[in-house]
Amino acid sequence: MPEAIELRSLTRWYGKRRGVIDLEADVHEGEVFGFLGPNGAGKTTTIRMLLGLIRPSAGSARILGLDPWTQAPSLHRRLAHLGSDPGYLGDMDAASLLDYLGALRGLQKGAWRPFADRLDLDPSVPVKKLSRGNRQKVGVVQVFMGREPLLVMDEPSTGLDPLMQREFLTLVAETRAAGRTVFLSSHNLPEVERACDRVAIIREGRLVKIATVTALVGDHTRSVNLVLGRPAAEGAFALPGVTVLSSTGQDVHVMVRGDVNPLLRRLGELDVRDIAISTPDVEDLFFHYYEGTVAGSDGRVVATGGAEGIATEAAP
Amino acid sequence: MIGLSFRLELRRSRIIAGGLALVVLVYGGLIAALYPILLANTAMVQDYMKLFPKEFMAAFGMTGSLADPGIFFTTYIGTFLWPIVAAIGAIVLATRPTAADAERGWADLSLATPLTRGRYLGAAILGQVVVLATLALVTVGGVLAVGTLVGAGFDAGRFLAAGAVLWLFGCAIAGVTSLVAVITLNRGVAAGFTAGVLIAMYLVNIVAQVQPDFAWLGYLSAFRYAGVGALIDRGTADWVGIGVFTVVAVAGWTASLVLFRRRDLLP
Repeated sequence: MPEAIELRSLTRWYGKRRGVIDLEADVHEGEVFGFLGPNGAGKTTTIRMLLGLIRPSAGSARILGLDPWTQAPSLHRRLAHLGSDPGYLGDMDAASLLDYLGALRGLQKGAWRPFADRLDLDPSVPVKKLSRGNRQKVGVVQVFMGREPLLVMDEPSTGLDPLMQREFLTLVAETRAAGRTVFLSSHNLPEVERACDRVAIIREGRLVKIATVTALVGDHTRSVNLVLGRPAAEGAFALPGVTVLSSTGQDVHVMVRGDVNPLLRRLGELDVRDIAISTPDVEDLFFHYYEGTVAGSDGRVVATGGAEGIATEAAP
Repeated sequence: MIGLSFRLELRRSRIIAGGLALVVLVYGGLIAALYPILLANTAMVQDYMKLFPKEFMAAFGMTGSLADPGIFFTTYIGTFLWPIVAAIGAIVLATRPTAADAERGWADLSLATPLTRGRYLGAAILGQVVVLATLALVTVGGVLAVGTLVGAGFDAGRFLAAGAVLWLFGCAIAGVTSLVAVITLNRGVAAGFTAGVLIAMYLVNIVAQVQPDFAWLGYLSAFRYAGVGALIDRGTADWVGIGVFTVVAVAGWTASLVLFRRRDLLP
C-alpha cells in the first residue's frame, strides 16, 4: 500500500529543548491515523514539520511523496490543514473567511456551504462573536470543504458538543470512504478510538506504540475495576503484568496483560465487594503506555510510571 | 493568489489607515489654516522664536523662517507629525503578517494552502506600500486643500513631491521593521526596536545640529533626510536622502522576503 506519510528518524530540537525524537512511522493512503498524546508530547511539532512550517533537526518526512520543506507549495495543493487553535481574523464573518481560504485552495465560492449546514454553523456572524465551539466548527468546515487527498488535523473536535462530534466522526468516515487519508492528532481518546484505523502513541517526543485500534484494545489486555471493602495494602497489586491505573483506596482500576491468575489469587485474599472485567478502551491503553505522573480530576496523583516496570502509587 | 492576499491585507488595514488618515487630515488642515496668520505676523513670530533655546528649535526642525512654506511644513509635519504617523502605520503593518500572525496562528492557516511564503509576504509588503502612499497623499492633500481655501498659495507640485519623500521615509521605516519582525517573529520586540531607533535618530539629529563637533552624526539619522523644506521652497530635491530611503526600504523588504522563505515559523 502506498504511504501518504513517511517519517524517518524525524527529530526536532528547540535549542536544548526537546520537540520530537526519532519518529518512525508510515501512514497508509486511505487510512485514518490517530496521533495520540497529551499536551507537550510533540504532536503539534510533528504536524508543523509535516506542513513545512518548521524544518527537522534530523531525519526526514515525506508527505504524498514530497518533501514538506522544499516542496511546500506543491504539497499544499494536495493537503488540507486544521490547527488546534486557528488564528482566524475576528472581524471577518465565517462566510468571508471560508471563501477566502477556499479561494486560496482553488475552491468555488460557497464550497463550504453544505458542510456549514451539516454542522449548523451560522456563516454570517463575525468570527470574534462566535463561541469556542462555533469557531471550531469553522475549522472543521474549512478542512473538509476541499477535495485534497490528505487532511491533517490537530485537535479538530475540541469544543464541539456531542452532536457535532458525532457529525465530525461521520465526516471523517466519509473522507476515508472516498479514499482520502486523515492524520488526526488528538488527546480525545474516545474520538481516536472511534475514528481511527491505526493509532500512534507519542510520549515525551518519542513514539512508543503504533498499532491498529483493534490490536491495541484486544492485545490480551483486560481492564479490571474493583470495589474493595477496605483499602488494599500498599503494593498489593505489584504483580506481574498488572498495572494500577487509578486507586482511591477502595476503588481500584487495574489493567492486566497476559496471565490473570496472579491477580485472581490476590483478589482471593482481599475483601472484594464488586468487580467488573472488560476489554480496555484506548484511554486505559494510553495511560498504560504513557510514562509519567497522571493526575486525577481532583488533582490527586492516581498513577505513575509506564507499562514496563510501572510503579504505582495509590492516592490517599 | 497574491491579489487575494493583497485585497485581504488592504481590508485588514482599513481601521489603522483610516484612523491615521483622520489624524493627519485634521492636524494638517488646522496647521494649514494657521499659515496665513503666521505669514501676516512673520516679524513678530520670528522675534518670539528667538526666546527659545537653539536646541529646542532644532528639535522641532525650526531652522529657518516659519513664513517659508517648506520650513513651515517640515517643522509641523515633515519631521514632527509624519514620523509619528509613519512609524505607527509602518510598525502595525510591517509586524502583522509575520510576527503578529505567527503568534495568532493566521500565518499557519494561510501558509498551509498553496499560497507561498513569498507571495504571502509580498502581498503584505504591497499593502504597506499602498497604505503609506495613501497616508502621505492625505497628509499633503489636506494641507494643500485647506491652504487653497485660506489662500496660503502653496505650490501643489512641490508639496506632492514632498509627499513622495515622506512616503519613502515611511517605506524605509516599514522595510526595517519588516526585517526585524521576520528575524524575531515577535511583534513587541520589532515594534520596540523600530521606535527606539527612531527616537535615537531624532536625538542624534538634534545633537548634530547644535554641536558642530558632532555634525557628522547627522548623516546617521533618517531625520536629516526627511526635511522637505528646500524641496518645497526652492524645488531642490535631496537626492541623497531619497536614495537612502529607497535603498533602506527595498533592502529591508527584500531581506525580509528572503529570510521569511527560509526560516522556521514558530508560534
